[in-house]
Amino acid sequence: MKNEVRALRGDRGLSQADLGAALGVSRQTVNSIETGRYLPSLPLAITIARFFETTVEEVFDVDE
Amino acid sequence: MSTNSKPWYCGRWAVPATAVLAGVAYLVVGLVGGQRGFALGGFVTMLVVAAGYVLAGRYSETMKGLLDREDERINALDRDATVVMGGVLMVAILALGLIEIARGDDGSPYFELAAVGAVAYLGALLWMRWRR
Repeated sequence: MKNEVRALRGDRGLSQADLGAALGVSRQTVNSIETGRYLPSLPLAITIARFFETTVEEVFDVDE
Repeated sequence: MSTNSKPWYCGRWAVPATAVLAGVAYLVVGLVGGQRGFALGGFVTMLVVAAGYVLAGRYSETMKGLLDREDERINALDRDATVVMGGVLMVAILALGLIEIARGDDGSPYFELAAVGAVAYLGALLWMRWRR
């Protein structure tokens, strides 16, 4: 499943480590989510969407 | 919103403390059984393992995640690796039991261990079925 996490993070000038610290996960996990190797749980997906002040559907392409 | 539910037994020091407790158990049973080499060797080895966990947790994100249990992806990796370990262990136990049968023995203790594994699996399945 494709997602916009890398683009949203880049827009805010955050590193993967910064985002990981904000979400309470490791830098590796942020990288895995961005590259699509790891699909986050629903609570983490919602946390990511809220962090970027958007919706889960806007962050994650559920049709992909 | 929490992204994981951390049980009380999954604190940061749970794994090192378990290693130390295992070392103490080795020490006690070794001394009780009159095997000082096993007692001291086992105790020191498990202390080194506990220290290794703590030190590795400072340099490795994965090890840190395994210790503090706060990263859902690392928790999932740990869970999946445990499933693989359980599967490999069951295959090995059954294979060793069959070898014992082929040698003319009764397959003990391997088939008893396999039975414990089967009961544990069914118990866990029923418990989770009831909870989820």
